[in-house]
Amino acid sequence: MTSGKHYSFIFIVLIILVISLFILDILFGSVSIKASEVIKAIFSSSGNNIETIILKFRVPKAVTALVVGAALSLSGLQMQTIFRNPIAGPDVLGVSSGASLGVAFVILGFSASISPDSINGVGNWILVIASWIGAGFIMVLIMFISSRVKDIMTILILGIMISSGISAIVIILQYFSNETMLKAYVIWTMGSLGNLTSGQLNVLLISVMAGTLLSLASVKMLNALQLGENYGASIGLNVRLSRVVIFSCTSILAGSVTAFCGPIGFIGIAVPHISRIIFKTSDHKILVPGTILAGGAVMIACDIISQLPGSETVLPVNAVTSLIGIPVVIWVILRNRKFSGTF
Amino acid sequence: MSLLKPILILAIYISSGCVNRDNKTVEITSDSQNEILKAERFTLARKDGYIRLKIINPWQGATDLNQTYFLVKRGEKIPSGYDSSSVVFVPLKKIICMSTTHAAMISALGEENSVRGMSGTGFLYDKKLIENTKKGLIADVGYEANLNKELILKVAPDVIMIYGIGSESAGYLGKIKELGVTVILNADYLETDPLGKTEWIKVFGALYCKDEMADSIYNAEAENYNKLKKFIARKINNRPKVLLGLPFKDTWYISPGNSFISKLISDAGGEYLWQESESAVSMPVGIENVYLRALKADFWLNIGSAKSKNDISAIDPRLNELPCFKQGNLYNNNYRINPEGGNDYWESGTVSPHLILKDIASIIHPELFSGNELFYYQKLN
Repeated sequence: MTSGKHYSFIFIVLIILVISLFILDILFGSVSIKASEVIKAIFSSSGNNIETIILKFRVPKAVTALVVGAALSLSGLQMQTIFRNPIAGPDVLGVSSGASLGVAFVILGFSASISPDSINGVGNWILVIASWIGAGFIMVLIMFISSRVKDIMTILILGIMISSGISAIVIILQYFSNETMLKAYVIWTMGSLGNLTSGQLNVLLISVMAGTLLSLASVKMLNALQLGENYGASIGLNVRLSRVVIFSCTSILAGSVTAFCGPIGFIGIAVPHISRIIFKTSDHKILVPGTILAGGAVMIACDIISQLPGSETVLPVNAVTSLIGIPVVIWVILRNRKFSGTF
Repeated sequence: MSLLKPILILAIYISSGCVNRDNKTVEITSDSQNEILKAERFTLARKDGYIRLKIINPWQGATDLNQTYFLVKRGEKIPSGYDSSSVVFVPLKKIICMSTTHAAMISALGEENSVRGMSGTGFLYDKKLIENTKKGLIADVGYEANLNKELILKVAPDVIMIYGIGSESAGYLGKIKELGVTVILNADYLETDPLGKTEWIKVFGALYCKDEMADSIYNAEAENYNKLKKFIARKINNRPKVLLGLPFKDTWYISPGNSFISKLISDAGGEYLWQESESAVSMPVGIENVYLRALKADFWLNIGSAKSKNDISAIDPRLNELPCFKQGNLYNNNYRINPEGGNDYWESGTVSPHLILKDIASIIHPELFSGNELFYYQKLN
């Protein structure tokens, strides 16, 4: 099979899938609205209630799902490659926890000077940058550990330790903060796609766009690093620079999502594997765009499921992503029992 | 979770000594059942020297689960055949309460000096109880998992009154029992009738041997409440629609139609937006669903911890678009709140629900109560 044609076919299918799921996500929510009315609401401005539901609730949520899915999956792919570890992901290695620590410092630590009103302006950027710094700090820490310990399992266990350590710090911060701040933080940790203000969505879009462009530019670095740092160096790659670029990229992607949507688990680990299965390649020129599309599709599908179309009740989206992601991760673990081969 | 809960409840049932099924060998003959009018979660039955207090399904989701206590006058013998762990000697002299509601009822009976411990003394609103706390008479025994067991032992109460034994608090109940302290479960928070909650004062009446006083407090309150309710029903010619609560992210936990607050709104001449729904617990509903229904609301009450319109906008700016928000018909039940967040609505409001009823009625039917000042509620600006 000529791979070029084969890949473009898969890409077209994926793009159609993402678009169809996106449309389905707007069509189905906890309120049942006829498709014709949805279309009317989008293309004519009648200002009625259906239009408010579609334009203010469903469209922003579907866009958030797409962006979140793409960003988390991409950061997972980068982590798996750079740490050469099939079960690396922002949540497993504590990068998401690092981001939450940044958020916790902002909400619980310094929020005496940040009121709920200012959170909607500059506050959004403060939140997201704190999140990047937290995520980046953990990335550096893990890199430092990886340079000393080669065993993947050990690194994973250390990742769990790091997450627990961060949780402990967050608990201490919570312990000393007042009720209002505590509530703001607890609500944030519940993770959700549908609660971003338009200002927050803009910040998220800009950050993820920047992270994605940076990732697309770093495809060659990823391909080289996949074969090991020595190999990278031997073909003239500036290993240190590549690492900085990819680390920033991962921190921006995982950090931005965590800042606004809270911790959303398992998308980051599972989706890169799904795209490896679909494309049957380890070439990042294919995997990076493939993972972006697959991530968007999976996350939107999870959002549709979490709305339980037809019923008034909704499920937490976090739970849905875990239930879908965990089987994939288990499958990967069982398949790579020796954790060698491709990595 | 849904599987875990029944298992845990079963585990508590098996492990706790004083939870009895109805068919236990102990039989009381010639009961004189106290007249319980509205409360559904307890019964009192009297026989010679002692009273049988039965708490029915004391936590959310419990079915066919009763806890029976035998209240025996101090100095009298435990009737033979009774398990001593379910005997409580009355009147109580020292009690630890896990809820300010319990303390409010004790205070209403004039027994506030018996309250020697509280979970979260900072949440108290009652002046006498705050004074006692300042004097060091009321110990703060901490919360559920962080309960200060040594302090409880030091206080050595006759009874520790707790509520809400679900899966999450199962552990701490066992621990208190290990300390040898008698635990009484209070299920007043599960009563769906406002007067049903108030009627729990009769339980305290029995525990403090002040039955008559408790009865008369209840009867006076019931009379006030029912008079007001009838007056409202006679006068109103429309039922404004009422929205309740606040969303958590994009989920809105909706109080069902068979809840305490829904009953109050209906008695106050309003129509709760989820009046027809029935559920034992709050229902998680998608925000767009709530939004659509909320567009019809004339008033928005019990708005979480919001103290201003800005607090609502900060949670979700889309809520600014609701007609009741634009018209400024926003009222929250947090006017009488102390700096730590303790709310008198849940404290004295349980003993005087007619004041809550009057507040809600004068909010949604201002024409009926011109010049009435709100007691528990405040308008959000």
